[in-house]
Amino acid sequence: MEKKVEQYDVVIIGGGAAGLTAGIYCGRARLKTLLIEKSLVGGLATYTSEIENYPGFPEGSGGTELMELFHKQAKRFGVKFKLTDVRSVKLEGETKVVETFRTDYHAKVVIVASGGKPRLTGAAGEDKYLYDKGISFCATCDAAANTDKTVLVVGSGDAAIEEGMFLTKFAKKVIVSVMHDEGTMDCNEIAKNQALANEKMEYVWNTVVEEFKGDDEHLRSVVLKNVKTGELIDTPVDTCFLFIGYLPNTEIFKGQLDLTKGGYVLVNERMETNMPGVFAAGDVCEKFLKQVATAVGDGAIAGYAAEKYIAESEIVEHQILCGGKPRVVYIWNAIDERSRELLPVFEALENNNADDVEVVRVDTYKSNGIARMLNAPAAPCALLVRDGAVVKQLSCDEINAENILTGCGCDTGA
Amino acid sequence: MAEFALDCLGEACPVPLMKTEKKMAEMAVGDVLVVNIDHSCAMKNIPEWARKQGHNVEIEEVDDGEWEVIIEKTK
Repeated sequence: MEKKVEQYDVVIIGGGAAGLTAGIYCGRARLKTLLIEKSLVGGLATYTSEIENYPGFPEGSGGTELMELFHKQAKRFGVKFKLTDVRSVKLEGETKVVETFRTDYHAKVVIVASGGKPRLTGAAGEDKYLYDKGISFCATCDAAANTDKTVLVVGSGDAAIEEGMFLTKFAKKVIVSVMHDEGTMDCNEIAKNQALANEKMEYVWNTVVEEFKGDDEHLRSVVLKNVKTGELIDTPVDTCFLFIGYLPNTEIFKGQLDLTKGGYVLVNERMETNMPGVFAAGDVCEKFLKQVATAVGDGAIAGYAAEKYIAESEIVEHQILCGGKPRVVYIWNAIDERSRELLPVFEALENNNADDVEVVRVDTYKSNGIARMLNAPAAPCALLVRDGAVVKQLSCDEINAENILTGCGCDTGA
Repeated sequence: MAEFALDCLGEACPVPLMKTEKKMAEMAVGDVLVVNIDHSCAMKNIPEWARKQGHNVEIEEVDDGEWEVIIEKTK
């Protein structure tokens, strides 16, 4: 089957809170935007039964419900959605390629918002019992199927404890395996106190998973190992829920994007990666706090940065680094006095030497994107362009009509 | 290369995945299965499971909260 090729301004990889927010910003900026999500739009937040701390929802909101609102808003701004997985990417150069099973998507900008995937224990037997066979990562998905049953939760972070409490509404008993000493948990204090007071919850301290055991059909028990004594505790359960953290979804970006040792994408405060035109947002980034609220902030920055990058690249390509007359690019800042003092030099050039040289003014006050693309030093300065390339830089003290005209190769008549 | 349909509308986890696994086992390489689901939980495990097996997966959102998971058996 021949591959289709489709053109977009922006392709967003990942449909969680970060990707959806980036989509809302790009769509609203009237960029032709595609969001690719491998399964359910909404990302990790859809695995959460209650989101209590996302501002604007004083009564809290279900994760799936909240994300459905994000989804609707992105659709309203014309974002296209494709539910499939990305096989590979080519991020270098002006046109980026995002490859899926049937189609190659070409884009000017790629926003990586691929988030994370649940970390596994690596214990024996784990592979045999994933998903419907007894090991789950989603309490909201599998809680009802465990009504009046005994379940094991592995982990003690916010996700583990909050989802564990949610499971007590269905299960008859929720056993929690905690790696730490008795009374020490990784979750917030409020959740911890509520969980310790919950009569349906039972704790096995200082333990990690040693082995998953069962028959061909289903998981039957989990062998926990006490990390201090080495004691093995065979724990019969109907389902085991793993909440032991996440790993970033960045395999397909290796060798193209700068990643941390742990595989997270390195970005600056503008959500720029090392690759021009490629931005990253949300849990896939190396960052301090991973929440819906912070993913939304990242997504907004990435979406705005994408719009700026596309607009500024077009100016650089079609108005600055293109053929035609020699050109002088005045990099200035509207709120800087020295910058304003030099403006008459350029007005005079436009009036007297319009046949020899073209003047382009770049105000860096609102955005210094063009100046960065041209590797310009701090404003005020001038760049002389001939045949699509910068041939000379003039510092503010060197800016005068003669230097500009001789630098541009024009006969000054002197 | 035959195409099969599996109606899992109204069914909650883990039933849709169990049915999908059973149906896929009966099919030949190159056959395509279209699973209709309307429980979002099945969107988390069916595509994940099928991709882990190495099959090709695409999803169409038929309506708000209703999907067709299209799985091409590759081995």
